[in-house]
Amino acid sequence: MTKRKMFLRMITASLLRRRSRMLVALLSIGIGATILSGLVTIYYDVPRQMGAQFRNYGANMILVSQDTGTLNAQSASDALEVIGTDQVIGATPYRYVTAQFVRSQLSFVAAGTDFDQVQLTSPYFVVDGAYPSGPRQVLIGKQVAETVGAKLNSVLEITYKPSQKFVSGGEAVPGATLVGSAEGFNTNPVSVVLTLDDQMKIASMELDVSTQTEEYGGRLGDETYTKRFIGRAYPLEENDETDVLSGATITSRAVLEAISTAQVTDNATAVTGNTMSMQVAGILDTGGKEESYIFMSMDDMAALTGEKDLYDVMELSVSGTADELAGYVQTMEEKDLGVTARLVKRITNSETAVLSKLQALVFLVTAVVLVLTMICVSTTMMAVVTERRKEIGLRKALGASDDSIRVEFLGEGMFLGALGGVMGALLGFGFAQIVSVNVFESSITFQPLLLPITVVVSMVIAALSCLWPIKRAVQIDPALVLKGE
Amino acid sequence: MSLLEIRNVSKIYGELKALDNVSIKVEQGEWVAIMGPSGSGKSTMMNIIGCMDKPSKGEVLLDGVDISKESSKKLTEIRRDKIGLIFQQFHMVNYLTAVENVMVSQYYHSMPDEEEALEALGRVGLRDRARHLPSQLSGGEQQRVCVARALINHPELILADEPTGNLDEANENIVLDLFAQLHKEGTTLIVVTHDPEVAEAAQRTIVLEHGRVAREIINENFGK
Ligand SMILES: Nc1ncnc2c1ncn2[C@@H]1O[C@H](COP(=O)(O)OP(=O)(O)OP(=O)(O)O)[C@@H](O)[C@H]1O
Ligand SMILES: [Mg+2]
Repeated sequence: MTKRKMFLRMITASLLRRRSRMLVALLSIGIGATILSGLVTIYYDVPRQMGAQFRNYGANMILVSQDTGTLNAQSASDALEVIGTDQVIGATPYRYVTAQFVRSQLSFVAAGTDFDQVQLTSPYFVVDGAYPSGPRQVLIGKQVAETVGAKLNSVLEITYKPSQKFVSGGEAVPGATLVGSAEGFNTNPVSVVLTLDDQMKIASMELDVSTQTEEYGGRLGDETYTKRFIGRAYPLEENDETDVLSGATITSRAVLEAISTAQVTDNATAVTGNTMSMQVAGILDTGGKEESYIFMSMDDMAALTGEKDLYDVMELSVSGTADELAGYVQTMEEKDLGVTARLVKRITNSETAVLSKLQALVFLVTAVVLVLTMICVSTTMMAVVTERRKEIGLRKALGASDDSIRVEFLGEGMFLGALGGVMGALLGFGFAQIVSVNVFESSITFQPLLLPITVVVSMVIAALSCLWPIKRAVQIDPALVLKGE
Repeated sequence: MSLLEIRNVSKIYGELKALDNVSIKVEQGEWVAIMGPSGSGKSTMMNIIGCMDKPSKGEVLLDGVDISKESSKKLTEIRRDKIGLIFQQFHMVNYLTAVENVMVSQYYHSMPDEEEALEALGRVGLRDRARHLPSQLSGGEQQRVCVARALINHPELILADEPTGNLDEANENIVLDLFAQLHKEGTTLIVVTHDPEVAEAAQRTIVLEHGRVAREIINENFGK
């Protein structure tokens, strides 16, 4: 039999035949390793877990068009490709137009969106009723609903006139079509559509004052008023008081404002408006500006406006650290997709702050557990040494050198460390899983690499914990301990 | 040259002289008993001879080497190579079986050899108890295992401090017979005892009193 075999035989005999004592040591190492590997797992999983939590607070990235115009579906999907589908939790397009209730003539903001995505990017939306699931259904903001007295399943007739849409901006150029609107009497909008000839003179003008009181501002709708602008240079000279008609002062001033703030659009005139009957599927309560909007599907929005695949903004919920998000933003910029991405700093910054605090906390607890484990193992090994003073003395009397004593105790300690490490890695995963499921409501995947790491770390901890007890063991004087009864 | 020569050795604990200028010679192959009242310094002397302690004064020559000047590391080596120890309280590793306890001695000395260890157990009449743990053995059996352990590496010198102190008559005789066999094979034996019968089995008895050699008795009846 080789010396090594005898060494292993002695160690296994010591561990197996002195089971109860060794179980205590094994347990302290095992529990330490369990908590350590569990915490390390959580430490690395926290960003993912917390990221998922933070996604509950809404979008953390916003896409808008690079110029001030609208975002088309193609450039939006190009931008999403930069991020990668795995990372995108939700991507909700929004299209905002100003529409009116046919009956009350009240204006409101109509928003086209994708309700499946809304639930991902704005999980905090509280809906009374249900999200619209079919065509011609709307989700109505609580505030609008109260104003017009809409209830669940009420049918609303809404209308959209193209000139009322938010127009794309830009410099007026010869031949351009300009669209403008301004608030007139009772804050009801008046709108104009102008075309310029190649000398920048107004070639045609359509005026919509249908929202104004008929016998006052409404009078301006006839051709006699609009005629006076035809042939005049654009922009108009300022303060031309002759254009302000008495009896329709507010409306005519609004018309002047609409003209002077009108912006270039290429298709505004091509757009045809529509009137649609929509049923209220749900009432939205957010505590925010969304309560004054009416949401409908993108298909309904297209039907209402006659425009497809145009978005004003796209809200994204993206998983990733603040740095990763910033990286996406930069890549999109570099690729020149015609899209500008902005981070919702309120969300990303607080996420980073909370994350680093949480990780610091887990790190601290890990360090404390590490020290506690070492104290615990050290104490147990100390007790083991005390208990085995006679045996150590005997071994020395039989010719064991100090080094053999060291190797034997270190061997036992590291064997316990390895065993405790395996136990800890497996139980630690369970521990992390339980914490994850109970605290973060999501499960984690087992990291195979953690097994060897935990075993090695436990062995090192066990070895370190044994150093002081071993020092004491080596100091034992065989003559003294063997003499006693 | 004597195997062991103690020259003017004193061991002083504070005021107390456990050994006081002791000089003794033990020849190769001799069987010597040491007697004396409790506290007379017998164990102190055995520890010094057994390389587990150093004298305060004097020289201890073992095989011509002065072990009173050696480092503790060197002493461990000498003990391992030349000396077999037997104690009154047996002292076994309690989680190892009888044969494993014998093998521990081989392990530190050279190479563990289970066959040889079993043979040694056979010699002390315990071959069939080889797989028993100390707790499953009687005191006499444990002491016999310790004898087997002491002789396994063929030491030049066997030191036994009250080997029969905890044994009954029958086991005492078994152990004495084993000593007689070892003596015949040429092993030098130094046996501390309170028991005149055990002392009478030896060739010579040295009596210690108050740390000094009081007298020496040659056993005229030895071998008869
Ligand atoms: N380590 C020590 N420190 C102080 N005094 C000691 C020490 N070892 C022994 N002594 C003292 O030295 C003296 C001799 O002790 P020793 O153990 O050699 O006696 P002994 O002859 O073996 O006695 P016994 O027959 O009772 O075993 C005793 O008075 C004892 O108290
Ligand atoms: Mg004694």
